[in-house]
Amino acid sequence: MGAKRKLLKGYRGGLLGSPLKWLIANIVAWTIGVLWVLPFIGIFMTSIRPFSEVVSGWWSVSPFTPTLKNYVDALFNPMFSLLRGFMNSFIIAVPSTIIPVMLAALAAYAFARFSFPIKNYLFVTMLFLMAAPQQMTIIPIFFMLNNMRLLNTYLGLILIHSSWGIPWITFFLRNYFSMLPKELEEIARVDGATNRQIFFKIVLPISLPGIISASVLQFAWVWNDFFFALMLIFDPNKMVITQMLPRLKGQYQIDWGLLSSGSVLAMIVPLIVYIIFNKYYMGGFRGWAMKK
Amino acid sequence: MAAGIIIDDVTKVFPPNVVALKNVSLKIKPGEFFVVLGPSGSGKTTLLRIIAGLEVPTKGRVIIGDEVVVDANEGIYVEPRDRNIGMVFQNWALYPHMTAYDNIAFPLRIKKLPKDEIDKRVREVAEALEISDLLYRKPAHMSGGQQQRVAVARALVKQPNVLLLDEPFSNLDARIRITAREFVRELQKNLGITTILVTHDQADAFAVGDRIMILKSGIAQQIGPPEELYGKPANVFIAGFIGDPPMNLFKLKIDHPLIDTLNVKGYITKHGNIVYVGIRPDEAIASTSLENAHFIGKVILVEYVGSRRYAKVNILNEISMRVLAEENIRDGDEVRIYVKKLHLFNSNGKRICTINP
Repeated sequence: MGAKRKLLKGYRGGLLGSPLKWLIANIVAWTIGVLWVLPFIGIFMTSIRPFSEVVSGWWSVSPFTPTLKNYVDALFNPMFSLLRGFMNSFIIAVPSTIIPVMLAALAAYAFARFSFPIKNYLFVTMLFLMAAPQQMTIIPIFFMLNNMRLLNTYLGLILIHSSWGIPWITFFLRNYFSMLPKELEEIARVDGATNRQIFFKIVLPISLPGIISASVLQFAWVWNDFFFALMLIFDPNKMVITQMLPRLKGQYQIDWGLLSSGSVLAMIVPLIVYIIFNKYYMGGFRGWAMKK
Repeated sequence: MAAGIIIDDVTKVFPPNVVALKNVSLKIKPGEFFVVLGPSGSGKTTLLRIIAGLEVPTKGRVIIGDEVVVDANEGIYVEPRDRNIGMVFQNWALYPHMTAYDNIAFPLRIKKLPKDEIDKRVREVAEALEISDLLYRKPAHMSGGQQQRVAVARALVKQPNVLLLDEPFSNLDARIRITAREFVRELQKNLGITTILVTHDQADAFAVGDRIMILKSGIAQQIGPPEELYGKPANVFIAGFIGDPPMNLFKLKIDHPLIDTLNVKGYITKHGNIVYVGIRPDEAIASTSLENAHFIGKVILVEYVGSRRYAKVNILNEISMRVLAEENIRDGDEVRIYVKKLHLFNSNGKRICTINP
């Protein structure tokens, strides 16, 4: 009895019901958590140690000599500068987040609150087309950009990422907007506001958690994208960070230290974005999951 | 400033075929405090939303002042923002991202009034509503009563012709509610603004209304001042709905002994075999010492409703009713009951008359 009580120390009853359920939920959560974090720890451990220490696996901890050499090498490599990749990624990812979120917010509000003739067909078509894989669309996209003289340009990639983002953000924000209390918009109407004023002065500000959630996801998605960048950018000076990473691997033998420090650097940006906006981000999803 | 309102034969059907309002007509005088009272689902909020312009009637028209704001037959529809209406919702609908000041200033900023004019008017209305010290708080940091005042301030700041209140008291604690009612009533009288309040709570309605319309399933049942609704209910529904504790209502055959005892046969002979007899608990008294009682009963239960003491009595071994109880009465007592006033309705529930037996 005593042992059992100790084991269940954290158990507070409530949401999860019986202690058994609580135990199972915890086991499952911890298992997933550890599985999720393990690769990250591996890469991190590899990145901060000399190559000789990790040839037999990052988990061998002696000797353990922490060093930043891999990071310095990765950032200031004369052949393929990660720093350049960072900049390019930002140049691509920031507008590729702002443009689709802005456009999708407008579309989403229309889908959420207005009625127009083919609204539902349009929405379903959009959802349906969202299922199309990137690989299926890449050849037409390639030729289209080529004809528009936008191949191998920042603008071309930004446009593609933006249009790829608009449907899902529209879907996401439409659900978010439909969940907002209608009274706020109605009272604004009675108080004299036009639809545009209602949208910009009331709906957008109170939807900030949803807008930020969508932005964080879109930003991370664009930042992590490899496929579109690979197909549409080939000037080494314009390459984004995910394109730079494989080039760190070396020509004759794989330099794991360099590769993993590059990976950590690439990961850090979306990670920081998540951390900064964590409060809104979680709020956005909590709000999304609960019907008020 | 204050405008009258005419609702002319308004019907609202929500697709596919939910009838929310059916042929409702009424005239509200300028400066009147009018209450729409009805149970939930009676269509009262729909009526308010039609007046505000948030809903368009299927049939009929609405006139505010001398302007037809909506006419379903002629296809006239004036946008809510052009109706000069102030409105307060049940949940107050304050903009959560704005301070009280910004909430109140919102309608004026939309109108693009000069800054100092806005500031002056916001402070004036805040003063009148005694919320000057909350102006820089956000709604999340205000109590229900304070939020309500801010919502009323926002509705009044643009000096509307009409004020619409949708269940403004129902989210308030019982105690604050009473002060809030008095406050709204006084404010309305001082400003002389035509006001329509929608509520399901008869205490709200009676506390503030000059006149009250009772709505049931989208049909207007009776329109009149509170005394009339209480004293001369138009049908059995109103009789049972108005009054607390509720009226004792009996559906009786014409040869029932109670009809004889109460001596009402003369009033009902033309109205078929079945009548409803209604006796308000406050209009009958149970006592141990009455000389001229109508009947004798046995007390089942003595209870307090509000500050008054009522006895639930059993009469003729089959009917039980609630009546005012004298102080010395206890459970199980034999009592004599005197009826001061009773209401008679025909078998369809329509009012016949009110008499003193």
